[in-house]
Parts: sequence; structure tokens; C-alpha cells
Amino acid sequence: MMDKLYLVARIADTRVALRSRAINSVVTVGTPVEVPAAPPHVAGLFALRSRVFTLIDPHVVIGLPPVLVAPGQRVIVVEVAEHGYALLADEIEDVCFIEAPETRIAGKLLPGWARVADAMIEHRGASLLVVDPSHFITLPALKAA
Amino acid sequence: MGRTGTAMDDLLNDFLAETAEILAEAGGAIVAWEADPADHAQLDAIFRFVHTIKGSSGFLALPRITALSHAAEDALDQVRRGNRQANAALVSGVLGILDRLSDLCTALGQNGTEPAGDDRDVIGALAEQGSTLDAPFEVAGVPLRREDDFSAELQSWRSIRVPLPLLDSVMTGVTDIVLARNEFARMLRESGADLSVIASFDRLSDSIAGMRQSVSQMRMQRIDKLFAPLPRIVRDLAQEMGKKIAFQTSGGEVELDREMMENIRDPLIHIVRNAIDHGIEALEDRVAAGKDITATISVSARQSGNQIEIAIQDDGRGLSPDALVAKAVASRAVTAAEARALGSKEKLELIFRPGFSTAAKVTAISGRGVGMDIVKANVEKIGGVVELRNEEGRGLTILLRVPMTLTIISGLMVRAAGQYFAIPRGAVREILLEGGDTVRVDRVGGGELATVRGEQYPLLRLETVLGRGRHHGDDVDDRALVIVRPGQGQSYALSVAAIHDHEELVIKPAAPMIMATGLYAGTTLPDNGRPVLLLDVQGMLAASGIDASETGRSHDRMAEAEAEAAAARNAAQLLLFRDTNARVRGIRLSVIERVEEIPASALFESAGRVQVQIGDDIFPVHAASLPGGEGALKLLRLYDGLAVLCYPIAEVIDIVRLPDAVQPSAAPGLIAGVVLVGGEPVELIDPFWLMEQYAGGAAAPTLRQPLCRLADDRDGWGGNFLAPILRNAGYRVISGDEPSDEAPDVLLCLTAEGEDCGHAGGSVPVIRLRNSVAAAGPGDETVYRYDRQALLDALRDRVGSARA
Repeated sequence: MMDKLYLVARIADTRVALRSRAINSVVTVGTPVEVPAAPPHVAGLFALRSRVFTLIDPHVVIGLPPVLVAPGQRVIVVEVAEHGYALLADEIEDVCFIEAPETRIAGKLLPGWARVADAMIEHRGASLLVVDPSHFITLPALKAA
Repeated sequence: MGRTGTAMDDLLNDFLAETAEILAEAGGAIVAWEADPADHAQLDAIFRFVHTIKGSSGFLALPRITALSHAAEDALDQVRRGNRQANAALVSGVLGILDRLSDLCTALGQNGTEPAGDDRDVIGALAEQGSTLDAPFEVAGVPLRREDDFSAELQSWRSIRVPLPLLDSVMTGVTDIVLARNEFARMLRESGADLSVIASFDRLSDSIAGMRQSVSQMRMQRIDKLFAPLPRIVRDLAQEMGKKIAFQTSGGEVELDREMMENIRDPLIHIVRNAIDHGIEALEDRVAAGKDITATISVSARQSGNQIEIAIQDDGRGLSPDALVAKAVASRAVTAAEARALGSKEKLELIFRPGFSTAAKVTAISGRGVGMDIVKANVEKIGGVVELRNEEGRGLTILLRVPMTLTIISGLMVRAAGQYFAIPRGAVREILLEGGDTVRVDRVGGGELATVRGEQYPLLRLETVLGRGRHHGDDVDDRALVIVRPGQGQSYALSVAAIHDHEELVIKPAAPMIMATGLYAGTTLPDNGRPVLLLDVQGMLAASGIDASETGRSHDRMAEAEAEAAAARNAAQLLLFRDTNARVRGIRLSVIERVEEIPASALFESAGRVQVQIGDDIFPVHAASLPGGEGALKLLRLYDGLAVLCYPIAEVIDIVRLPDAVQPSAAPGLIAGVVLVGGEPVELIDPFWLMEQYAGGAAAPTLRQPLCRLADDRDGWGGNFLAPILRNAGYRVISGDEPSDEAPDVLLCLTAEGEDCGHAGGSVPVIRLRNSVAAAGPGDETVYRYDRQALLDALRDRVGSARA
């Protein structure tokens, strides 16, 4: 049952579905603390209870310019290799069961999306990319920075 | 009754955990007891250890463990009752049992059942030597268990075991409570609450602070636990390698986070093993170097601020920078050109290169090429540093400096580029105002230099290091300068916008991509709930590419220490030893060439003198008769520059400074006088008299033996009859045909009377031998060939004695 539960959200200007078991929680953040000299997709640090989380800007991972973090913005909290991260979300739409099967990605994606997307899924008359949040944590080697 | 129930599993786990601890402690206690068998407290402690294991294992139905612990308990009890002597064999036997117990417990932990097997070998080994003594003694009325056994057992009930994850979750919970408290306090202040509400909140706040304190203490353990297995390791290894080592620990009461302890256990053991294997010289080398025969290795711990310093010190040969370089070049770790550019400190630090092993050859004990690099990596992983303090020829101290806990350090909060950063307080040496009188900042060729009271530091601006611009709100004139000392022998000045305050910080590692910048050592969450980055003071140096080494600042102090040590070395030293007749005697260390250990069979008696064969040489031995017995024998090898004399001893005791006051003997003899060493009279050997007795003795080799050339030895008489006599008298002999690079000292002509000696000529003296007993006339200088004495006299006249 849990396998069929997805979080539908808009990240990096694209509607995607995230498998719910990969996700810890969805929270709102205030102003994050900047990390000078960190890679560009690191949007900062914030505290949740007594833990410090690293905020990731998916826009940068996909190859878009970074966005400013607005106070009260919602983030998707995930855990990768025992470290806590949060993905900036443009919008959180829904958490729902999607009965349709995951299908192979048809068509050509932008290189940034091709790296993070695992599959596609049909939801309410639209095709959504199924993405793995852990793929956003590591930045691909920048080609021509 | 299977061991299926949960209660039974818990019991078994408790037993295993407890036994593992006991075994670790018992090993150390036994070694201490072996060193001082009269120490009844240690004996009682060991007895209690095995007794506890026996009791618990009986309850859990573990027959092998019960039988093993019973055997050890039995043997130790015999010693306690005085029926049995404590000796090395007994100690080894008990250690053998402990090892077997340890093996069994490991298997038990893995399978949940005691493996089948036979322990008669180790039990038998322990019982064997005891049986002969045990039988005749039967002491009645001695209680099997003494009162203190019971009281010690009760002690162990006063603590409980808690799994580490539970402790961690309590710790996290308390940290959350603290953060919630801070937020609540802020809200209370803003809402302008009633004073009584604030007062009761303060009480709550205080108890939370107290609780936080206790929780961090719960994770602390005495460092004793870490030291416990070391004496055993040292004993076994020293015995294996034939070295004498006095091992001591201090500062065992220092407390350290359990997790830190786990992380430094292996590095510590590795360093100690290395010290024994590579650091400590062989006995003879120590004597030759004028050192105490018994080497000292000490491990000490002390707390300084939030750091724990663990020093592993040995008085061995230390590290030789040149040898390290040669080795590194040979193993292609560095190129010769790189090696030339290395400073002395960097040369020593070659041992931290992966795959570098200092042993000349790989031994079973260490030197497998995995080593110091792993040690360094492990210590650095937990935020510690490894330092070397090397005194070539006199020993090496390795210093491990680790934070007291993984979690809490004292940090200095600074501001730059509009945000806060933390600097570990331990690395901060001084804080100054950049515009202050004591500070001068110079721009030199694009770089900046801060001069503080005459000392120069490279200057880093935190904003520049972080790649940020100066924040508009920061006061340009009011900047602060933090003198940072990231490690031994390095320092720099860090300019920051402002200093905030000190705080106790809970440090967590940051995400890998943040750690990868090399600028940060972790993140922390101060009481205001906003994350703060902890700066990596060493990493910032690397990132800025600045050489911050303080070379040449403390020259005077080093020179002073050098001079002092040299003075101590120049003082005459006395080797104390036990004579073969058990008397303590002393002899000046400088006349001893080395201490030989030889099998008793190497001694032989010849021509009324005891002699010894060592390698290819034969030396006289100062002994009236051949010592009886088998086994090894120790000889002091005295050397006066010409001849060697061996003096048999029972054992070397110590090397001390020769006292000034000597009570001389009435008549010259073996004993020159008596001195007091440590309040005890010690007979001082007179090496002058001793050497005199043997000077000109049998076969003492001289530095250079005269060379005889036998000329015209046509019938082989010279080679067969004469040469052995000459050789025996201390001459080297070559016959006429043998080529030689060396001019002979004397020529022996074996030609018949009247003929000219074919080889005569030059300045070489000639002795002619004649075949007839009677001389040809009064002017005849020839020597009758069977007149041994006349021949040797003639030789001595021409070239001097072959003997010393």
C-alpha cells in the first residue's frame, strides 16, 4: 500500500511525484543560514528540533538559476546517508495514492531532469515524473562552469 | 532448558559484557601482580575476577567456562594460602586460561551457545607445576572466600548497563528540551509575563541545565578502561622480543566520552606496539647508548579544557629524520627533489604517509605498512590531532589530542560577512583588536602580515577565506584579530568583523558537500536555534595556501635542553649488575663494550684458563672455573682499546650515575672500592686490575697481529710444524709463495746453512733458522729450528710481542 503513496509537488518549476517512503516530512522554514563557499545547490542550513538540515535548491541541480528562499516556504525533508536534507519546493500539492503503474520514461528530457527522474506515472490526466530525492543531493560535475 | 527466553538472553548478554570487561581488567592486573608478587591487593582482585566469572557461568550452565575459571581460581587460591609460589609459569598459565575464556565468550556471543571443545591443555598447563607443591601442604580452616570478596561483588550491583542508542536518544531529547526552553524564555520576555511565572520558569530552567549536565556525564567513562589491556600487550610483546620494558600509565581518572574511547582504542594499541617493536632498542644497543637496560614506556592522559591529551612516551631510539627520508625515497613515496625541500618536521611526518613503515624489515608485530596513516586518520576523524615530539636517539613521544566528547566543545563565536561562525576555543591563543596598539598590520606583496609584540603572523581575513564581501553593517575600524593555533608549531592571525562570545556547543558533522569545502568542521546549534558553522582552523590554512609554521621561534629553549642533556650524558655512569655469586657490583659503563648473551656451552677451559667462544673469536673469561649448569649466560664484554675480557654476571640491574664518593679498598684487587647507590653499598670493579690480570694472557687478539713470512719452505716443515706455533703466539703467517698486499714484519728463512735467503732484502728483519743444534760460532745469529723459546725471543726482539 505504502508503495502506491506519492507526494505530488512542484519543484524546480515542474510537477513531480515523489515516493512517500523516501520522504521524512514536509515542513516550513524561516530564513536559512548561508554556507559560504559551499556548492551552489546548497541554499543554506536550518534547524528542525535539535537537528541541523542542509537546504537544497533543486533549481540549481536541474540547471536553472537559484531562487531566493521565502520565509514560510515549504520544504521536503529527506534523509540520505544519515544526513538530513531538505528540498525547496515551489508548491506542495497533495499526498495521494496513485494506482497507475510507474512506466518507463518516454521522450527526451532535459539533461538535468534525466539524471534525477526514475520513471513516469499517470495522475489525474497528467504525466508526472517520478523522481528520487537523493539524486538532488549530489550535484553533477559541472560541465562548463 | 533452552536458552530461548528473553530473560535468559538478557542474562547471557549481561554475562558476556561483564566478562569482556573483567577479562580486559584482569589481564592488566595479572601483569602488575607478576611484577610484584607480594602485592596481595592485586592477587585478591584477580581472584575476585575469576571467581565472578565462575559464579555467573555456573548459573548460566556454561560448563567449559565454569571449568576454566574454576581452574584459575583454584591455582590463585593456592597462592593466596601460601601453598604455591607465584612465578612466571603460573602467570602464563592464568593468562592462557583468560585467553581461552575470551575465545569462548566470542563464540558464545556469535552462536548463543558454548562451543564444544577440550580445555585440558590450558587447565593442564596451569595444574602441572602446582601439583608437586600442593600435595604435602594441607592447611585447614582457611575460609575459601574472604569477606572482601563479598563486598567487592556487591559493588558491581550498584551500576547497570544501558545500551548506547538509548543514551543517545536521551541526549537528543534533552537538547530539544533546551531549545524549547530558550524559545519559551524569549516568548515569556516578550509577553511581559508575571514575575512569579518567570521565577518558576527559572527554576524549571535550572533543573533542565542540571539534567543536561548529568546526561553528558552519563556518556563519560574513565580512561582507565582504555589503558587496562595495555600492560598485558606490553608484557607479551616485550617477552617475545627479549626486551625489558617498564610500563606505566597515569591519569586514568580522566573521563572521556565512550564513543571517543572506541575511536582511539586501536590507534593507542598500535602506537604502543610500535614503540616496543621499533622504538625500543635491543638490550645491547641500549647499553651501548648508555641507557638504562630497562626501557620505559609511559602512557598518560590529562585533560586540558575540552580536550584530552594522551601522551605515549618511550625512551627508545626515536625517529631519525634522515632514515625516514631515505626510506620514503626508496619506497617512492617522495622524490629525491621533494625530499630535499622537506623541513625537519615534515620529514618526521613522513611516517603518516600511507604505506610507510619505519621498520627496516617487516616484523610480525608491526611494520606491515598499515599503521601511522590509519592512526592519524582515525584520530582526525573524531576531530583530534596527532603530534610527534622526537628526540633522536633518546625517545619519541606521540601525542594524541582529542576532544573530550564528540558532541560538546567550547567555541568562540565570531561574526563575518553578516553571519556567525564558531572557532574551537582550544585553537584560539589570543584575541586582540586589529586597531590596537600592540598590533601592526603590513601589506607585503599582496599578502598581509600582522605583527603582535614582535612576533609575526600571516593574516587571513575571514571574509576573503570564505569568498564573501565585507558586510555593509560591519565597522571597518573595529575589527578583531584572533590568533589561531591550529596545531603544534603553526599559528596565524584571523581577522573577523567582531567577536561575539564563548559558548558550549553541540557539534554535529555537516553534510558531506559542506565538509568537502574544507573550511568547516561541523555544524552546531546554539541556544538561539539558528545553526552556526564551526570553522576548520587547519582547513582554512590549506584553502588559503599559507605557510603558518612557526619555525625558529623557540630556539633558545631547545638549545638549553640540549646542553642539559649533554651534561647528563657526560657524567660517568655505573652499570649495576648482579654477580654470579649474587653480589651487587658496579663497573664504569664506559669500559663495557657490550653485554653478550651466550649459551653456557660456549665456555671452555683451556691451558688453565676459562675462555669463551663468541662468533669466530675467543676471549678470556674472568672465572676461576667453568660455571656449571645449562642455558644462557650473560657476559660483560670489557674492552681497553686493545684486548677484550669477558666478565660473567647473573643479570644487569640498572645504569646509574657514578657517585662522587668512593671508599677505596685497602689493597689493589678486583674491587677498587665501595660506593653507595640508593643507600646500598655496591662493590666497584677495578677494570685496570682486571685487565692487567689477563694482559698477555692466552689468545687475546690485538688490534694488529704482526705478519711473518716463511721463506724457502721447500719441504713444508714451516707450514706444518712452525706456523701453528707462530699463530698460537699471536702472529699471522704466510708462506713464501702466497701473495700479500702487506709487507711482512719479519722474514723467517728456513734455508739450509750457508745459502742466502732468497727473499731477504729491504728493511724487513730476517731470522734464519738452522737445522743443527749447535751454533756455528759465537757470531752465529741463526736460531735452531726446534728451540721454541729462542725462536719466540728472536721474533719478539725483531717485531715486538704479538700479545698485548
